[in-house]
Amino acid sequence: MNATTISPPRAVRNSRAHGARRYVTDTLLLTGRSLRSIPRVPERLLDVTIQPIVFILLFLYVFGSAIHVAGISYKDYLFPGIIGQSLAFGIIGAGVATSSDMTEGVVDRFRSMPISRLSIISGQVMGQFCEALLGIVITVGVGLALGWDPHLTALHAVELVALMVLAIFAFTWTGVLFGMLVRSPDAMQGMGFIIILPLTFMAGTFVPIAGLDAVPRAIADWDPISALVAAVRSLTQGYPSSGSWQLDHPEIAMALWCLLILAIVVPLALRRFNRMLAG
Amino acid sequence: MTDSHAPAIEAIGLTKRFGDFTAVESLDLRVQTGTVVSLLGPNGAGKTTMVRMLATLLRPDSGRARVAGHDVVSEPDKVRRVISLTGQFAALDKNLTAAENLRLMARLRGHGRIAARTIAGALMERFDIEAIGDRVVKNLSGGERRRVDLAASLIDMPQLLVLDEPTTGLDPRSRQVVWSTVRDLVAEGVTLLLTTQYLEEADALADRVVLIDHGREIAAGTPAQLKARVGEQRVDTVVTDAAQLERLDQALSASFATSVARDQRTVSVPAPNEAADLTRVAQAIRESGIAVDEVALRRPTLDDAFLALTGRPVNADLDGEADSAHEPITHEVAR
Ligand SMILES: Nc1ncnc2c1ncn2[C@@H]1O[C@H](COP(=O)(O)OP(=O)(O)OP(=O)(O)O)[C@@H](O)[C@H]1O
Ligand SMILES: [Mg+2]
Repeated sequence: MNATTISPPRAVRNSRAHGARRYVTDTLLLTGRSLRSIPRVPERLLDVTIQPIVFILLFLYVFGSAIHVAGISYKDYLFPGIIGQSLAFGIIGAGVATSSDMTEGVVDRFRSMPISRLSIISGQVMGQFCEALLGIVITVGVGLALGWDPHLTALHAVELVALMVLAIFAFTWTGVLFGMLVRSPDAMQGMGFIIILPLTFMAGTFVPIAGLDAVPRAIADWDPISALVAAVRSLTQGYPSSGSWQLDHPEIAMALWCLLILAIVVPLALRRFNRMLAG
Repeated sequence: MTDSHAPAIEAIGLTKRFGDFTAVESLDLRVQTGTVVSLLGPNGAGKTTMVRMLATLLRPDSGRARVAGHDVVSEPDKVRRVISLTGQFAALDKNLTAAENLRLMARLRGHGRIAARTIAGALMERFDIEAIGDRVVKNLSGGERRRVDLAASLIDMPQLLVLDEPTTGLDPRSRQVVWSTVRDLVAEGVTLLLTTQYLEEADALADRVVLIDHGREIAAGTPAQLKARVGEQRVDTVVTDAAQLERLDQALSASFATSVARDQRTVSVPAPNEAADLTRVAQAIRESGIAVDEVALRRPTLDDAFLALTGRPVNADLDGEADSAHEPITHEVAR
């Protein structure tokens, strides 16, 4: 140990632009921190990519042989469903990451430093958003490699990307909120399995909603994930859906659902975050 | 700007409850600028709770606290600018490397990319962690993590450094490294609040010690004052045959004020001169020809302090789980 001078004095911090600029810088730094951990914790990315791949293989090559959907090849019916499901699984991914991250000591250090507090949760959301986006890109890539054949006009492509980004954003915020509410990453995992997995199954993901029993059908008619799946299917294959208002207008319904979710979840997440910080 | 005349910490009647349970009860604490104060107490005493309130991480239920003249509740941002906390458990991103952690914290403190790199490099050199700089934190040992954590707290030399149990779980060598770092920092003018379960550590580092238990202050004073109340170090001799206890007592009482603990077959004498007294006791034993199992120099532990100051053992109502209990101190107190 030798007596190296530690650093120039604290004045640096004070001379720095405050307010909005500080928020943006801190958020970018904290987003970078989340992104850096993606390759260090590959399990997390695998969680959101392996699961869809397993479902693809299972339904394409096992159950698929027994499922016939009128007017479309099963492959082209299945992939939009898988994408909708993966988008929804983003909730679990973000929730698990948040619940393990927010209980870590490092958040305490951030809190005791003179940084913008909002940037802590913003960095978390941004990091999880990027991770979910990467997961979807991989899933789409696997689909294309296995012979999925989307028919997209340029306009539809833009619409699809915009809707997917909006959905990832909404589900990431939802996951971050849940992650701050549950006690542990395992609890989040469990909740995902009990609530989100069934909802993704009852959304016209693998089989048409029209053929379901009365109760699951009533759920499916208003399950937001149904709108998601129907919208992706309508945009990529021009395949129509019907049964409820949201299934008659899936693209608009999907956008409205995402906005509604954001309107509810963002204030709740911020409130929860402030509570956590207040101790 | 910071009021340079205000004490580094001034807390009055600070209280924190968790549900019905009161973790810190009406605690006062005053730390003068440039001094080292130690909060000493067993597990669950409320040390971490107290420190977290002062570092703006926990909101007090009642009472007031000012850090460098700034109120912790109404001016947290100003407090955060002068304080640096090293919590009880490493506050690092476990998925980043040690160097990445240091650079991130430096950048969050407003340094540019290049400055952050320089600062991280200097700190790694200072804390002897260059060799582990590129290892991901989750793969570091507890002691290595602590050193990185401590380094992260010193990115901008803080006015007030708060260390929560900085040496718990460290091996004696790492403990010495932390102690000497702390002394260097104090020499550089940092004010330090330190929590510990070891009376010996408070004695080695602090100008003033506040002993707490169940969230309340039990005693406070300089280490010398506390030790005067607790008793100095002593030499304990354990005889092999209990029947010889009387004889040994007589042999030693010629030159020492002895006390006998019959059920432990032990004769105890005060040893203000440490090793010199130990040698004299050993000499006397050899001359008497009495067989003994052990002759040891013991310093008062937290246990002894509690017994002396409160008349009851540590955690008397909690099954005595404090891990500092009955621990002969074997390494040197350098002071
Ligand atoms: N968030 C919390 N909710 C409920 N009880 C808490 C909480 N934090 C601390 N406590 C309780 O408050 C008491 C004091 O805890 P604290 O962590 O301050 O003790 P400590 O002196 O730091 O102990 P240690 O030496 O074990 O670190 C303990 O009994 C603890 O169980
Ligand atoms: Mg503690």
